[in-house]
Amino acid sequence: MSRPDGRAALALTTPAMALIGLFVLLPGVLAVVGSLFRIDLGKGTRWTWVGLANFADLVADPDVARALLNTVLYCALTIVPSVVIGLALALLAESARRGKGLLRTLLFLPFTANLVAMAVVFRWIFELRGGFANQALAVLGVGPVNYLGDERYALVTVAAVGVWRGAALAMVLFASGLASIPSAVHEAAAADGVTGLAKVRLVTVPLLKPIVLFATVMTTLQAVQVFDTINVMTGGGPLGATETALTMTWRLGFTYFELGKAAALSVLLLAVLITVGVLRRRSMLGGAR
Amino acid sequence: MNRLLWRAFRIGLVLTAVSIAVFPFYWTLRTAVAAPDSVFFKGISLLPDELALDNFTKAWRQADLGEAMLNGALMTVTILVCQLLTCVPAAYAFAKLRFRGRNVLYGLVLACLLVPTQATAIPLYLGIGSVGLGNTWLALVLPFTTSAFGIFLLRQYMVTIPDTLLEAARTDGLGTFSTLRRVVVPMSAPAIATFSVFSIFVHWNDYLWPLLVARDESLRTPPLALATFQQADTGLDYGALSAGAVIITAPIVVLFLIAQRRFVAGIAGGEIPG
Repeated sequence: MSRPDGRAALALTTPAMALIGLFVLLPGVLAVVGSLFRIDLGKGTRWTWVGLANFADLVADPDVARALLNTVLYCALTIVPSVVIGLALALLAESARRGKGLLRTLLFLPFTANLVAMAVVFRWIFELRGGFANQALAVLGVGPVNYLGDERYALVTVAAVGVWRGAALAMVLFASGLASIPSAVHEAAAADGVTGLAKVRLVTVPLLKPIVLFATVMTTLQAVQVFDTINVMTGGGPLGATETALTMTWRLGFTYFELGKAAALSVLLLAVLITVGVLRRRSMLGGAR
Repeated sequence: MNRLLWRAFRIGLVLTAVSIAVFPFYWTLRTAVAAPDSVFFKGISLLPDELALDNFTKAWRQADLGEAMLNGALMTVTILVCQLLTCVPAAYAFAKLRFRGRNVLYGLVLACLLVPTQATAIPLYLGIGSVGLGNTWLALVLPFTTSAFGIFLLRQYMVTIPDTLLEAARTDGLGTFSTLRRVVVPMSAPAIATFSVFSIFVHWNDYLWPLLVARDESLRTPPLALATFQQADTGLDYGALSAGAVIITAPIVVLFLIAQRRFVAGIAGGEIPG
């Protein structure tokens, strides 16, 4: 295309960009501004300038440090396992001789779940007394584990639920990638006698590289933004063991009504996310430019 | 022999994976159909002693699931229509038109992908309240009338439409808008289907935002209705909650079964060169 399409582009992009500006960017900017104030709700909202005091409070608060550390741990426990398991599941589903569609649907189910309802079910499965996970352990003669009540296990348990869901998402992304590999590639590989695991390693995975990056970005976003499952399963406890950046933001904002501090914490989180995003930018811009 | 073992190993893996994926759903269903006395049980019994459908009628009536599902459907569909109307044209412009500031604007869209809704929820909530829209149906829909993720996903797909095709449309006398409607949209159908399914999942199941803005009983969406079983003073009613979860998840699972093939085709698009 040679001629510039300025006016058409303006008409096509304006509705979306205006709404994004109004409902994402403006609140984002307000959060940044709000982080510099103490905001009192009540009879009319009162804003008091406090400069960087909110940030200073956060940095000095060991609970915040713990929440950030938990977020990092949760990411470490979920991102790579989700992507690797997702890839394995997609390869397994693809190699099935029949029922590919049904298999994919079953494996994708975790992503369709209503998180609030599912988190309640998981809470029950991991219950100390009478929960399925402990009943199963009892059969093996292993004592009950307090999955959600013990500081040592709680984060790992909620992370397991995160992988359960994340792997389903990654699976469907990889499945679509596998479906788009041209059959000529498979024929060429067969002609060269490349089959089985060797084919996966030498042919399939290199071709899926863009999807690996896409799936990593998606699971990272899901991991950093984990909220519903933790809120229902543990409420951030026991003793802050599963408190993450977002559950903490939520508590600051809507339980303690420290809106300025909550805004400051979301600004910190946003800064981290955008840094990660910029590092990954090239993968997201993929395709022709 | 070796191949047989390998095959058995693979089948074992598939069965394990499927059981782990499906087990919590099975468990929900089991709890839902169990008679109240046999919800809690001794030992591992995969089937309840007594079957009963009481939980379903209870969930349906007590949580007013019918009204909540109607609300939820209306909200989800309105959001989807608005998103498609705004995202499809924008994605086309970012994919195929040349204009000043394109990369900057698209960079902005990508940056928005990273903004968690929970982080903007507080200012958004205050803003919606201050213009007098708190606790209204509009408040449920307005913030989601467009989607950065939608623009991103659709653009990725549209980039792969060959330029020669669009030039052919132009030489045939089609303007930008008719090209969009008659060439680009039909060709992007898989990606549009994918995004639609994603959007429906997310908004049907969304809990946080409706919790904030829909305080009226009449505005409740399915997840809010489910939550009534958690907040009940009598404690957590696992049976009714599970039955409710089954009821509100069923339409979504059916939707995915129907859209499954297109959904899978729409994500990668032509991202993989071949």
